Amino acid sequence: MSLGGTEIRRAKLRFGLLTVAVSLLVFLILLLTTLSNSLISSLVGALEGLDTDGLVYAAAAQDTIAASRLAPETEGAVAAVPGVASVSVIGTFTTRGEVAGTDEDIQVFGFRPGEPGQPTALSDGSLPASGSEAAVDGVAAVGDTVVIGGRELKVVGTLRGARFNALPTVYVTWGAYDEALRAANPGLPFVPVNAVAFTVDDPEDVTSVAMAIEGAVSGTRAYTLNEAVGSIPGIDSITQSFGILVGLTFIIGIVVIGFFFLILTVQKMRTFTLLRAIGSSTGRLASTVALQITVVVVLASLIALALTVLAVRGIDTGIPATVDPATVIGTIGAVLVFSLLAGLLSIRRIARIDPASAVGSR
Amino acid sequence: MTNDPVVEATDAVPDGPGPTPADDAARHDHALLRVESVSKVYGSGHTEVTAVAGATLSVDQGEFVALLGPSGSGKTTLISIIGGLLQASSGTVHLGDVDVTALSSRELTRFRAERVGFVFQSANLVPFLTARENLLYVTSLVKGGSRTQAKARADQLLEELGLADRAGNLPEQLSGGERQRVAIGRALMNDPDLVLVDEPTAALDTALGRQVVEMLRREIKSRGKTGIMVTHDLRMVEYTDRVFEILDGSLTHVEEPSALGH
Ligand SMILES: Nc1ncnc2c1ncn2[C@@H]1O[C@H](COP(=O)(O)OP(=O)(O)OP(=O)(O)O)[C@@H](O)[C@H]1O
Ligand SMILES: [Mg+2]
Repeated sequence: MSLGGTEIRRAKLRFGLLTVAVSLLVFLILLLTTLSNSLISSLVGALEGLDTDGLVYAAAAQDTIAASRLAPETEGAVAAVPGVASVSVIGTFTTRGEVAGTDEDIQVFGFRPGEPGQPTALSDGSLPASGSEAAVDGVAAVGDTVVIGGRELKVVGTLRGARFNALPTVYVTWGAYDEALRAANPGLPFVPVNAVAFTVDDPEDVTSVAMAIEGAVSGTRAYTLNEAVGSIPGIDSITQSFGILVGLTFIIGIVVIGFFFLILTVQKMRTFTLLRAIGSSTGRLASTVALQITVVVVLASLIALALTVLAVRGIDTGIPATVDPATVIGTIGAVLVFSLLAGLLSIRRIARIDPASAVGSR
Repeated sequence: MTNDPVVEATDAVPDGPGPTPADDAARHDHALLRVESVSKVYGSGHTEVTAVAGATLSVDQGEFVALLGPSGSGKTTLISIIGGLLQASSGTVHLGDVDVTALSSRELTRFRAERVGFVFQSANLVPFLTARENLLYVTSLVKGGSRTQAKARADQLLEELGLADRAGNLPEQLSGGERQRVAIGRALMNDPDLVLVDEPTAALDTALGRQVVEMLRREIKSRGKTGIMVTHDLRMVEYTDRVFEILDGSLTHVEEPSALGH
């Protein structure tokens, strides 16, 4: 007979309320994690998802790809640096356009299919292969159309987690990009390149190759992909702020769970003392508490997960929030592990029980 | 208050003609339970309290004896040591060929589960388990044994204790006397060698108290168990075979219940 299970069955109200309280805490943790991950990903997802080892910007751009303007010849200069395997160009700008019939601000990325710097986070369809096609991370499906600079493009693929600046992001071939940018900025003498994407011969070497590029091509700064993502202005403080928020919520949740069970344990001290006196081991009683924590946290997590899914569907923050299974499993797992650790507070109390105090009237 | 006379009874413990427990023990050298020169000192320095001083006693297999003494005389301390709940400061306790005083605390936990049945003064039962579950729980503390057998045994004990129709009740739904009877069933559930009972009637009125002790005697005797009942109520000793008197931590006499002339 499982003591812990029987107690839960006999005290449904108490454990029910406890489960609801814990589920609200887990819900808060899950929702914060999901929203912050979604926000960060919609800010930097486009760069993160580029298929390249590194990026070269104009030094004057101060780490901002959108502010970077490189002359078209830079591509060749980077290609000539020893250690560089292949290069290609990337362009990006923000414009007013139409996605699946809705007029909105969009971020446009231009790349050369099959070369470094193409997006990777394809969720449906394919990447554009011609100047009349586009892939979109936004409210659009394969078969829809997007309109950029007056030109209509057919959506052949959709991407997930590939936004930039938290805007719907449209990926087009370099040819279409060229036309769109000229249409948006009539009289442009040449279409500038925002970044040169490069791959290296030896993946271990990205950092040193990046340094070599900066040395060889004046007026440039070269980054590994991670560096480029990490140095997007403000992204560090956003990540940190959310980290602190999620971390604090997590800690508060765990402490509260730990205290809940400590209170339950203290309330049952007489019973635990009796059980120790009649021959239950500390380990057995500890496993009773551990079992109850597991049951409560698992049930609460399921409720919290359902709440999170509903909330993510119901709340419109303007950025696509998706409940990421890996994040959910990781978070719930961490809550469970740390709740059990917090349960050590209770178990320590149980371990200190003097079974002799069950006797007599003391 | 119906239980007030208990206090008077305590003060009136008579000095019977019986031998000292040590002399008595010498005559019981094949006893199941042999307690030799057990002392217990609580605290240290000037807060030092000698709760039990050089207690020696022997109880034969199948005997049901009383430990009688006034409040604070060390009764609870002594049976706690005998039942492996408390470490003695000196002396030895043997149950059969097990030296209880030499067991580690892990071994003591097992010893209590397998070989001792306790009935405490109060708070005897797990509040969220039914009467039947309280009995069944202790079988889960020992290895082996079939669940079907355990269930049959629990039902039989509850039947004998007149609790057959209360088996599914939680302790809070039982009267004080019924609770103590469930506790007796629980104590007997694992077929222990030794049944230790600390003031089982303290929370009951006299009539109920008698009923419970009578039942306790019947169960202990019919199963051939060895039992020790702590009491300071002289009227309860008539159900026991022999009475050990304790005063200020020392065992003074062993008496026949009849010699105490209640
Ligand atoms: N944990 C303890 N710490 C210090 N002193 C204790 C402790 N337990 C008991 N004592 C002291 O030891 C003596 C014997 O106590 P014990 O509880 O064994 O007496 P008792 O005969 O069971 O009394 P009662 O009839 O009131 O239950 C008392 O003086 C008591 O104050
Ligand atoms: Mg006592």
